[in-house]
Amino acid sequence: MSQPDSDRASSESSRRILSALADGDATDGEAARAFQAWRDDAGARAAWHSYQLIGDVLRSEDLASEPRADEAFLVALRARLADEPVVLAPQPRAEEAAVAAPAVANAGAAARSRARWQGPMAMAAGFLVVIGGLNVVRPFGHGSDVSVAAGAGAASVPLMASATAINNGAVVATGEQTPAQTKAAADQLAPYLAAHRQSAMNAPFQMPGNDLRNVNLVQPAP
Amino acid sequence: MTMLNPDPDAALVERVKQGDVRAFEMLVVKYQRRIERLIGRMVRDVDLVSDIAQETFIRAYRALPQFRAESAFYTWLYRIAVNTAKKALVDMKRDPVTTLTALQGSDEDDETYRPGMEPTDGETPEALLASKEIAATVNAAIAALSEDLRQAITLREIEGLSYEEISDVMNCPIGTVRSRIFRAREAIAERLRPLLDTREGNRW
Repeated sequence: MSQPDSDRASSESSRRILSALADGDATDGEAARAFQAWRDDAGARAAWHSYQLIGDVLRSEDLASEPRADEAFLVALRARLADEPVVLAPQPRAEEAAVAAPAVANAGAAARSRARWQGPMAMAAGFLVVIGGLNVVRPFGHGSDVSVAAGAGAASVPLMASATAINNGAVVATGEQTPAQTKAAADQLAPYLAAHRQSAMNAPFQMPGNDLRNVNLVQPAP
Repeated sequence: MTMLNPDPDAALVERVKQGDVRAFEMLVVKYQRRIERLIGRMVRDVDLVSDIAQETFIRAYRALPQFRAESAFYTWLYRIAVNTAKKALVDMKRDPVTTLTALQGSDEDDETYRPGMEPTDGETPEALLASKEIAATVNAAIAALSEDLRQAITLREIEGLSYEEISDVMNCPIGTVRSRIFRAREAIAERLRPLLDTREGNRW
């Protein structure tokens, strides 16, 4: 077998890279060349097999196996792999990876920050629950002042800033809205509120509409 | 200096994740013998060992997108092998005939042909003799190496040290370590070549 010097040098270079790749010491560029060599060069495939076999035998002699058995195993597996869908794992984008590291590094600070505002937020949420409960239990009546939230405490004020206060069917903007916007919103909400108030007055604990009816369970006399 | 060594298979695994199935073949060639030995310790039926090993690699290939490198690839692969072998054993107890057929595959064109029922190379006296010869050749080649090459390859393959650690132990640059390990492998492979090559330069 006569092999040109350039081919021999290239082949040796490929094997040198394969040796480094076997130990996880190849650079990205070298690894790409090694993958190409595995694909195109039978000598490189034989070298990779030899290096792995040598390592196995050095660690344990009972791992010495005939190359024919190894080859048959790979050929059979190759046939099965051909039927498998190609593996494609999602790759992180470069900018995401760059952002991810500081995010992880600042995870402790973020947790501490969360702990600071969790208390007030829980208190505000508690007030909201109370207000909501009052609105449900207390039927809307003529002349009733449903702007209970105003007296519910300072904690609820920021949450109500962008909401609307309702009084006798009129919708009054408490946020920064123009009179025209307020009028339009009132026009949209008025029918809904009227229907809601009507159903609330009729039967506070009954579902609106006629599709559902209450059923009384009558116990038979003993 | 001791530090957690990075997974030596990281580059190969990443390549497979990018859709290069041929890179997975390199991992198969690397770990097939160890996986078969592991399964062989769990499954007494030697005919099934290769089939379970095949199944192990197929499962690993399918699951590779979920591999997060929280452990080394070989640790993850070993776990799959153990689970696959356990499942095969459970299935065998439940339905030995069906499991045997499923694992060994079937050829609908020829009802009498059962690939898995052929004697495997691993059992034949010739194969055992060949294995012993390979082991003896590797040992003889190691003994014939210079002290520097023998120490480098031994520290890498038997002790599992990284190039950086070997350079500390041998008090030489990492590039020298890399070169010594390559030359050691080449020298051993040269001695093995008559035993390994089925046809000149066309083993695979």
